Amino acid sequence: MVVVSALPPLAMQAGANRVVQGVKIEHVCGDPALSPSADQALRRRLVVAALRALETPVVEPRLFRVSDGGEGDA
Amino acid sequence: MLRIGHYLNQFFAGIGAEAHANYPPEVREGPLGPGRAVDGLVKGNGRVVSTLICGDNFFNEYPDDARRAVQDWLATVGPDLVLAGPAFAAGRYGSACAEVCRLAEAAHIPAVTGLHPENPGLLLYKRAYAVPTGNSAAGMGPALAAMVALAKKRVAGTLGPAAQDGYLPRGIRRPGARETTGADRAVAMLAAKLAGRPFQTEIPVDKYDAVPPAPPVADMRHATLALVTTGGIVPKGNPDRIKRCSENRWCEYDLTGLDALSSDAYECVHGGFFNLPACQNPHLVVPLDAMRRLEREGAFGQLCNVLCSTVGNDQRLADCQRHGQEIGRLLRRREVAGALLVAT
Repeated sequence: MVVVSALPPLAMQAGANRVVQGVKIEHVCGDPALSPSADQALRRRLVVAALRALETPVVEPRLFRVSDGGEGDA
Repeated sequence: MLRIGHYLNQFFAGIGAEAHANYPPEVREGPLGPGRAVDGLVKGNGRVVSTLICGDNFFNEYPDDARRAVQDWLATVGPDLVLAGPAFAAGRYGSACAEVCRLAEAAHIPAVTGLHPENPGLLLYKRAYAVPTGNSAAGMGPALAAMVALAKKRVAGTLGPAAQDGYLPRGIRRPGARETTGADRAVAMLAAKLAGRPFQTEIPVDKYDAVPPAPPVADMRHATLALVTTGGIVPKGNPDRIKRCSENRWCEYDLTGLDALSSDAYECVHGGFFNLPACQNPHLVVPLDAMRRLEREGAFGQLCNVLCSTVGNDQRLADCQRHGQEIGRLLRRREVAGALLVAT
């Protein structure tokens, strides 16, 4: 399980072990201020980060950030 | 004369509701909104000299700016006492109130807030002096009265233990003598438990369990992944009548053959944040478009065709735990190897 949240400290304090930094409370998985293609690209990077988190062994709550760009980065 | 500083969010300060949750910190002289009632409660002994306002989103999304604003306010105003909220069950507001209390105490200024016992703000600052409240602002009057009473005791130095003086336990145990030995008390507690009589534990266990991390997904290329959300994405029209607040159910929605969640067919019914962007583009909460693209590219095996959805706004912990177990069982039956839970 990986939690995607705009407020990772809260998720991690509540015990979520894999947390990906979401964008904002009102739009966790994207940014409506971006063009549709840029928004989709951001969302893709976020999901890629989530997949990487699922494949990463963790021993305690850990925050995973989304890369700034570049295919496959996480 | 007690000089009181009051922290309020954008709603109770009268700025606006969720659409204004990004309101940056602002100081105003004197009391605002509920602060006026505080003035009435302390008349003769004190007054609210300053109010700090901040939007709930701003405080939580820009914690460094918020912290600086609170510290500047405390230094400039120099209150004798800080009151924060009450925030009731509001998670972002409660987190902000807890942080305001923490910063005040760090500046040696006593601070009191009012929170529902399950408010996540208590997770972030366990030592907050908080009176317990219900989950609705209908309880504002009693909450303020309790906050002022607690504050008076703190300022007078007469504050006793939490159970006695009616505030939420702060996780501090002080040594002292009891009338009977531990062995006698333990046996009495066990006898009561076996007989189904009420008993009072001496060491409460934290409600938030520490769950050991699951091992990583071993074979992502063949793994089935699932999407889960507490962000309240539901079919348009909300056929299951999922509540905007205090919901105790979750629902399954079929994703078979769906590459996208259009705003014609889906909406966001979460009542705890400004959900218009999410209604206009549900992918901002449930990233189905990205998941399908990555599925087609072979980044993972397949997407489970069930979206598990609820509204996490003011959801009771016991319901959250039950939902987690029930959703977990469903995902296990579907042989799901990993899940994305998008929370708001």
